[in-house]
Amino acid sequence: MPFSALQETDFFGRKEELAGLARRLLREDGAAAQSAVLSGPLGIGKTELLKQLFGHLFWRQDRIVPFYYTVNPALLSAAVFSKDYLTRYLCQRLAFEKKEQALFSLEGLSLEGLSALVEEREAVWAREILDRFIRSSGDPIDALRVAVSAPHQAAFATGMPAAVLIDEFHRLKDLHIGGIPDPRLVSLFEAPMSFRKTPHVVAGSAAELHEMPVASGLERISVPPLGPEDAAARALSLFRACEAEGAAPLHLLRGLGGNPFYIACVIRRACGKKDPSEPDFRKAYAREVLEGPLALSWSSVLKSYFPGPGPRRTALTLAHKIHHTNEPLSCRRIAKSLSLTDDQAEATAHALHLAGLVRGEFGVFRAVEDGVLRDVIDCLYQRELLGKSSHDLEEELLKNPLPEKEGAVRFDMTLPMVKETELVAAQCLEQIGKNLNLNQDAVGQLQIAVIEACINAMEHGKGTEKKIYISVAADGDRLEVSIESAGREFVVQESGEPFGDREGIKAAGRGWGIKLMKRFADEVRFEKTARGTKTVLVKNLANPAGVQKEDRTGRE
Amino acid sequence: MNNFSLTSKSARDVAVMMPKGYINDMGAERLEQTSEQFLGKGMKKLVVNFSEVQYINTIGISIFTGIVQKALDYNGLLCFTNMKKVHREVFETVGLIKHVRVFKDEEAALTYLNGRG
Repeated sequence: MPFSALQETDFFGRKEELAGLARRLLREDGAAAQSAVLSGPLGIGKTELLKQLFGHLFWRQDRIVPFYYTVNPALLSAAVFSKDYLTRYLCQRLAFEKKEQALFSLEGLSLEGLSALVEEREAVWAREILDRFIRSSGDPIDALRVAVSAPHQAAFATGMPAAVLIDEFHRLKDLHIGGIPDPRLVSLFEAPMSFRKTPHVVAGSAAELHEMPVASGLERISVPPLGPEDAAARALSLFRACEAEGAAPLHLLRGLGGNPFYIACVIRRACGKKDPSEPDFRKAYAREVLEGPLALSWSSVLKSYFPGPGPRRTALTLAHKIHHTNEPLSCRRIAKSLSLTDDQAEATAHALHLAGLVRGEFGVFRAVEDGVLRDVIDCLYQRELLGKSSHDLEEELLKNPLPEKEGAVRFDMTLPMVKETELVAAQCLEQIGKNLNLNQDAVGQLQIAVIEACINAMEHGKGTEKKIYISVAADGDRLEVSIESAGREFVVQESGEPFGDREGIKAAGRGWGIKLMKRFADEVRFEKTARGTKTVLVKNLANPAGVQKEDRTGRE
Repeated sequence: MNNFSLTSKSARDVAVMMPKGYINDMGAERLEQTSEQFLGKGMKKLVVNFSEVQYINTIGISIFTGIVQKALDYNGLLCFTNMKKVHREVFETVGLIKHVRVFKDEEAALTYLNGRG
């Protein structure tokens, strides 16, 4: 393999995603293979999924040639990138023909060496691509064009399609010529990405990819957190690898949010002892949040977006504020509370959003739902801005319980975008309400809001994935329903009102949908997600004020 | 899809419509057409009995504005009865409730309408 990857037996909880991606690329569902973006937060396992996909395609079939490439931030000169990309592609392409792993180690070949290899293999198609590349090497843009279209040229010449898997794709926005970054260079991927014979699957920073024109129009495939069973299985495999005994506390795994990277960091550290106990896990967590690879990964992300000490302090202050504020913050509020100009507030918050440290949608910024990240930000803030010692911070972390997500009862469903599918959602909600003995009036109100949210999702749905993803979570006195689809952003920043001709919308009654949602749910949020847009409706069941409100309406 | 049905009855100048199921665009359009037919026949007192209505969406409600408008055009009177609390609040939220009279049940509406001559 051209990279290190997990053993297949240690790759937990992603079998479905892996099979789905393979089916998609092999066009087993009859549809044309289309390029897509893998989306998810830091550490969720996008890279590993791409690697496993490469392995699967390399060894288990011969209908499509896989090509795996990780963008190296040190190789972003157009000329250097082009050569590296082409060399790796040709080596992997030739390796695939006879499943020769040895060719992977030749990837650093010179053009002469590559030329000799191509001659030896009598690969006429490769010879032509290489000759074209050498002829165009005087012009970095031409050379880049030849390199990125090489998989397509080979597919065209040999009839064998290629699956191009690119990790850290967002870094390509920094491709440069002579040290001057030119975001247009990455647009050269547009053509090869659009060809049916060369579907690309790219991964990287979700927020950055969302803003890159070349990737923003691609279908997004969300990589979800590991479920409880898969998280436990992953933890167990780490125990075995460390030759430790025992098992990770379930509440710790829940608190780590199904993030494979977090799980690996904490379990490996705890398994420094052969038979770690609860205090050992607590200590391992504290150490990871303070100084381990987990903390360092977030710290390096922060540093890459805020290299200077001044902006980093501002960013940390803002991230800390956002993670300790229960409501979304607009740039104006941020500017006012941190004594920044509007532009400074916007730039800082936006960069934090791109870095994945906060969410940033529709003009407002809110905390990422990640208790571990919140602890990392707290520690960085208190150490770097308040001057607290690591020892004191560790003591505090050890006193606090491990982060734990509440054990909500959760129902997930996927509905096709067909006529009156909203009724299915509404009736499921009713049944869930009955099963959990929830306040039926409150559930009835939420049903109306859910119907409107589903209709919105269908009206604004786009792409090939004609599905709505609905999640219902009942957690004590709180009922939360999220309705997600590949819809475009259908609310205006700040106001939350629908896009479009206001009068036209009113005439058709659709301007009332959001009004009804806001009336019947105690909280309505709109979020950008990997798939597109998510509407979150929350109903407080302990204080069904909305239910009380109804009694004001008089009757004759 | 068959999530909506409509039955109706009439006596003298009063017509009662009983929608059932989900009032979306198609359901509301059928209500609108039926209302128009009754109004055209001179029945200016319209009652919509909501007892069998399960759900209603904003597209359906928007078509109700057409029914309200037609009743006004014909100098008629539109009454809603047997509304669930949540449906009443939907109409209240979009501001349509002020154009109709709401009664607890059909009998109360008919008593009121028959008393108006």
